[in-house]
Formats: sequence, C-alpha cells, structure tokens
Amino acid sequence: MSDKDNVLLKVPAEYFDGGWKKGEVAITKTSISFAGTTIQFKEIQDLEKLKYEGKDAVRIKKDNKNYYVAFGKSQDQIFRYLTFNLKSDRFAVYFLSPATRGGVVVRDSRWDKGYLSITDEALWLLSSSKQIRISIDNLGSVEKDIRAIGKKQRVVLVITHVENGEVITSFVLCPETTLEMLQNYIQNIIDQNKPKDGISEIEEQILTMVYTGVDSVSVESILGITTDELNKLYDKLVDMGLARVVKIRKEIELTPKGVALVNDIMKKAAVR
Amino acid sequence: MPKVLIVDDTAFMRKLLRNILFSGGFDIVGEAENGKQAVELYKQLKPDIVTMDIVMPEMNGIEALKEIKKMDPNAKVVMCTAVGQEQMVKAAIKLGARGYIVKPFQAPKVIEELKKVAGLS
Repeated sequence: MSDKDNVLLKVPAEYFDGGWKKGEVAITKTSISFAGTTIQFKEIQDLEKLKYEGKDAVRIKKDNKNYYVAFGKSQDQIFRYLTFNLKSDRFAVYFLSPATRGGVVVRDSRWDKGYLSITDEALWLLSSSKQIRISIDNLGSVEKDIRAIGKKQRVVLVITHVENGEVITSFVLCPETTLEMLQNYIQNIIDQNKPKDGISEIEEQILTMVYTGVDSVSVESILGITTDELNKLYDKLVDMGLARVVKIRKEIELTPKGVALVNDIMKKAAVR
Repeated sequence: MPKVLIVDDTAFMRKLLRNILFSGGFDIVGEAENGKQAVELYKQLKPDIVTMDIVMPEMNGIEALKEIKKMDPNAKVVMCTAVGQEQMVKAAIKLGARGYIVKPFQAPKVIEELKKVAGLS
C-alpha cells in the first residue's frame, strides 16, 4: 500500500516559497506532504513553532533545508503529531516545566506525564498538552536534586535552559537508573556545546550582570574598570559566541561652543 | 521606600543586588557577608526586608533566618538561592521565609518579588 493510501489527515495549509502560497498538506503514519514535497518523519532534523513572514508557522528541517508551513486551525494538532513522531531517543518521564523562570518560581506549573525526547538539535518535553522544545544551544546545566513529590522524596533532574532571554528550570522525574543515564547523556551534549576556551572570573561576572539587566556604566562601576577595558571584555564574549552586540555606545566631550552654552545655562539658573 | 538588608558572602553578588534594588526604589540600609553579621545588623537596622543567601561561612542563611525570626516573628526574609538548593528553600519557607529568588536572576523579577513581599504590589 502506498503512503497516499494511508493518509490520516488532509487539510488546507500554506507553505512559504518566496512568499506564502496556499496548498494542502497530507499526513500519513510516516510522512508529511505539501507542495510536491514529501518528508518522512524520520528525516526531520528539527522542528519548531515560530512566527515567520507574518504567520504563525512550523519550521521543518530536512537535509539542512528549512521548510515553513502554516497549518492554520490544525497547527497545534499537527505540530503535536510531528513532535511525537520525530526521529529521536525517547524516554518516558514526568516533567515540570517551567519550574522557575528568571529566578522566580512559577507557581501555577504542574507535573505532566509524557516523554523526554532527544534529537540532534533539541531536547523535547512532550505531553498531550505541552510540546516544549529546548534547543541544544539553549541548554545551561543538568543536575540531580531531591524534591518532595506527592508524599515521597524523589530524585529529579533539574535542567536549566534559556527561553526568550530568561533562564528557565525544568524538572524531570523517571526511574533512577534512567535518570542517571539521562543526566550523563544531557551533560555530554552540554559539554560538547561549551566554549572551548574557559572564561575568567571577571568575564563570568560580566555575563551575570548582563543577564541580570545591569547597564554598561553600572558594570564598569561595580567591577571598577574603564570603558575601554569593558569593551575589550565585551569583544571577547562576543567572539566566543556568548553575547552579541545590540548597541554601540557613544562617548562625547563638549566643544568650546558646548561649554559656553553650559555656562550660559548655569547663569540663567542662578538668576531664576 | 522599603529598607533592605542584603546578605551574601560574595561581594560581587552584594554589589549586583544593591544595584538592582536601588534602581527598583529600595533603600539599601546595610550589607552582611555572613549569617552572624546579618543577625547583628538586623537588630541594629530593623530593615523592612532581608535578602538572604543560603550557603555562607560562619552562619548559613537558614540559621540566620531562624535567629532573625526568633527576634522578630514578622521579619520579611527573601531567600536568595542557586539552582539545586530548592530543598533548603523549602526548609526556609517552613521557617517563615516570605519568598525566594533563584540565581541567576533578572532585575525586574527580583524587584517584582521584593515588592510583593513588601506589600507594594
């Protein structure tokens, strides 16, 4: 029987090909087809929900090429189906995500029963209601901790990751032998992705402050360093791929005309 | 303007918190680098809020919290912790800590949490 005969779902969709084009998407047990392209689930390298060219869409990566498809009303259903069918190493777990966000506990978060799924480019926490993608670039750390779950003290994995510029922690619970293996597995991924050169204490402090939201003038004041010194350290962090430049500061000094004007302003203030 | 006592054994974290809280409209009345100093300064300064690191030399944050609560059962102490110290935070909450923030933190979240504890939001 061909894939065509096994179509589970056929819905109108839009795909991006220089612009958004209307079409149809067909899903079988093993593949997704749109605009003359058929992608086997096992060929999908990465998958992500995102806003693309003005539309809520799904990015599907195959052979290092990205395809963008907007499934409209069926988006959540299809995305969920795809996440559960990705080629991945998958482990049955309970997870709590997010447990903390930006350093503050997320009070209304609940444990979900589902899977921790690991692909080449991301870690996924999957349940029927949540499909959380954690890009490997966004992984921070993984460690074990003991938490009271129900009435028992249980060992959980605490995974820190970044989402929209905030540090999130997620907890994963599964049998301890699997937990141990998962910790090593994830730690390996993190180690492979770490900068090759270590960073100094002052660089660590700068990263912490930038994350916290401290402005450059305060960073200089807290660390007792000059603007030039800070710029050099910023350059190193940018070169290491740990930060990016968003704004170049301007430092100015007054011209004689400016000094004269300030003098004038002061005189005016004195006679007021 | 709520008065805050910052307790942390690393000078860098104290400076960072001072910077965040000052910009959030808090009045930093003192800083302590261990639990023992924190208890002494609490007696002297009577701050509205204490941000309390957990792992510190001489007297840790949990012990300091206990001492402060003995002196002042209404003391508002916010525990300042790192990922992986959640168990200690739970103990602190049982002992009367009003809230906690997890390092690394973001300034707006810290301010939001402390304002909540101070009853300003």
